Amino acid sequence: MQADYTYVVLADDDEDDRLFFTEAFEELKIKTKVETYKDGLALMDALNHSDSILPNILFLDLNMPKKSGLECLIDIKNQEKFKDIAIAIYSTSASEEDIENTFVNGANIYIKKPNDFNNLKKVLSEVVTMNWQYHTSGLNKDNFLLRL
Amino acid sequence: MPIRKLYQSERFLRIIFGASLFAVLCMGGLSYKYIKAHTDSFKMVQHTYEVHLELGNLLSSIKSAETNHRGFLISKDSMFLESFSINRGYIDDKLFTLKDLTSDNPNQQESLQELETKINKRLSLLDESRRIASTNAMETPEFITAFKQGSQLMNSIGFKINEMIAHEKGLLKIRREKSTKSISNAPLVVYYVLILFLTLLLLTYGQISKNLKTLKLKNEQLETFKESTTQTEIISKNGTWIWHIKDNRYEYSDNLYRLLGEAPQSFKATNDNFMAFVHPEDFDKVTEQVDKMMDDEDLPFMYYRIIQKNGTIKHFKAYAKILIDSEGDKRLLGTTSDITDEIENYLLLEEKNLELERNNKELASFNYVASHDLQEPLRKIQTFISRLEEKEYENLSDNGQQYIERIKSASARMRDLIDDLLQYSRTNKSDQVLEVANLNNLLESAKQDLAEIISEKNAVITTEPIPDIKVIPFQIKQLFFNLISNSLKYSRENTVPIIDVSYSKTKANNIPQLKSSKYKLYHTITIEDNGIGFDQSYAENIFVLFNRLHDKSDYSGTGIGLSICEKIVENHNGHIFAEGHLDKGACFTVYLPMV
Repeated sequence: MQADYTYVVLADDDEDDRLFFTEAFEELKIKTKVETYKDGLALMDALNHSDSILPNILFLDLNMPKKSGLECLIDIKNQEKFKDIAIAIYSTSASEEDIENTFVNGANIYIKKPNDFNNLKKVLSEVVTMNWQYHTSGLNKDNFLLRL
Repeated sequence: MPIRKLYQSERFLRIIFGASLFAVLCMGGLSYKYIKAHTDSFKMVQHTYEVHLELGNLLSSIKSAETNHRGFLISKDSMFLESFSINRGYIDDKLFTLKDLTSDNPNQQESLQELETKINKRLSLLDESRRIASTNAMETPEFITAFKQGSQLMNSIGFKINEMIAHEKGLLKIRREKSTKSISNAPLVVYYVLILFLTLLLLTYGQISKNLKTLKLKNEQLETFKESTTQTEIISKNGTWIWHIKDNRYEYSDNLYRLLGEAPQSFKATNDNFMAFVHPEDFDKVTEQVDKMMDDEDLPFMYYRIIQKNGTIKHFKAYAKILIDSEGDKRLLGTTSDITDEIENYLLLEEKNLELERNNKELASFNYVASHDLQEPLRKIQTFISRLEEKEYENLSDNGQQYIERIKSASARMRDLIDDLLQYSRTNKSDQVLEVANLNNLLESAKQDLAEIISEKNAVITTEPIPDIKVIPFQIKQLFFNLISNSLKYSRENTVPIIDVSYSKTKANNIPQLKSSKYKLYHTITIEDNGIGFDQSYAENIFVLFNRLHDKSDYSGTGIGLSICEKIVENHNGHIFAEGHLDKGACFTVYLPMV
């Protein structure tokens, strides 16, 4: 059953970033349910819990303690049951190496954390309302990094 | 010059020697023949003379016998009779001698036979007349007839003897003529052969002395070469050795002993003596290689260590090649070189490389720190400011609002610095691939990225077509971007910025700064503007990292942009130069080598 809201999950070890993230969604006029986890391990525990509802979009910070975003990405892409989750990389850096690695491992989009709250809102709104099927079918290295 | 070559060859010498020997042999033969002919001729004369003499003697003996006989007939003295019989004995002797002398001549033998018959007849006539006389019938016609007959016989004997002498003389003459004919040329031939022989000897001598001179020269050269080889061995830390395979004998050069830390030729050159120096850890390896060398009669490169008597460890490299001389004797010619310095330098270099790698890694992690860790707090500051501005701006005093603005511009500048610094550190050559690119497109792309500022300033940018060049495309785009944005940034107030991008080909010789370059031709791209320019004395400083000519408040900038340009051009083995005229404009010239 398709829920009438978008279920968004963020894994980020930075408290401030989690705050910006939830505040941005609160201010956006989109029906969303937002859940945040403080590291990769906590995220994977929650996802693997048998009766948990799977998120529509998963935002992954790359640099996290215990389990990095890249490790989470590889884990998730290796499991059939997670195949419908859209994965957005949500990182401070946009180094070629990080972009290449996450693209190759099957992430759907790469977002560089904006410096401005209004930009953040714009980016998140864009991602949540994105037509994933359309985006994924035409995905290549050039449009992988989200530019506004 | 085959003849000249033949003349100088050893074969020529052999030929000359052969010819000389032959000439001497000829001379000997000829001389022998000549002397033999002379001896024969002398013998012939002697023979003729003897026959002549004996015939003369015979005639005189017959005449004596006749005289004695006549004397007896007249005087009846028996003394005459005695002489007569003695002469008869003489006549027999002479006849015998003559028979012997003319035994090789049937003609003379025949004549002699005839003569003997005549003599015997004469003698018997004498006996007859004596018998008649003893009866005192000297006046008888019988006696007179015998007397006359005797006288006739005597004449006939004399005639016969003369005939024989003439025959013998004729014989001598014929023989003489014959031998003279055959030997008259002999002295001249011998003389010519002698001259030829001497000439050949002179030629040979000339050649030999020339060869000797060459040999001496070669010997001197060899000596020099040997000396210089010895020096080379010492300088290049080489030692040579020879293994005579047939008699399993070794020869070591002086320097090989020195390499082992020993005095030259201080011990016998044997395999065992050498192996005593080999490092215990390499002993088995070297033994194996040497065994293999003895089987294969060859030694490919071998590396091992030795320990000198004072305990110093040295690294050796050895190589040998078989040499077969003209006699078919095989020798293995080896060179052993001390590569301790090389190895030590190599290890040192490896250590330095590791250090450099560590440094590079540190730099890379610093880059990561700069890109990630440093940006994160800054991003948060900026985000929080944007929150503050949005939510609490109205609650702040005018001062507070101003402070917020200041914080905003300071953090924006901090971001620019970090971004540019990152850009600079990422402008590396090592892992970038050069590819043929259309520079016009790259220039256009840079212009598009700057479209906003260009239209804002109403700038006019003129470009000239640039040919395709092998470059790192994104870096060249960055170069155009930085240079054009630089020109736009430092434009004069109230003046429409005009930026000229032009292209030409330049010979390195024509540019003083490029004279020592290894490339001959350069692509030259010039970016000229009509901006504020700069004093020419700063022309080199403006490329230095963080170097700024202007106040931050007047012109924004990090002082990194032109440093990035310089780094990009250097990555392409090119050069960038700046020329400035204060308040008139600046001109940047980029030289990229044509390859």
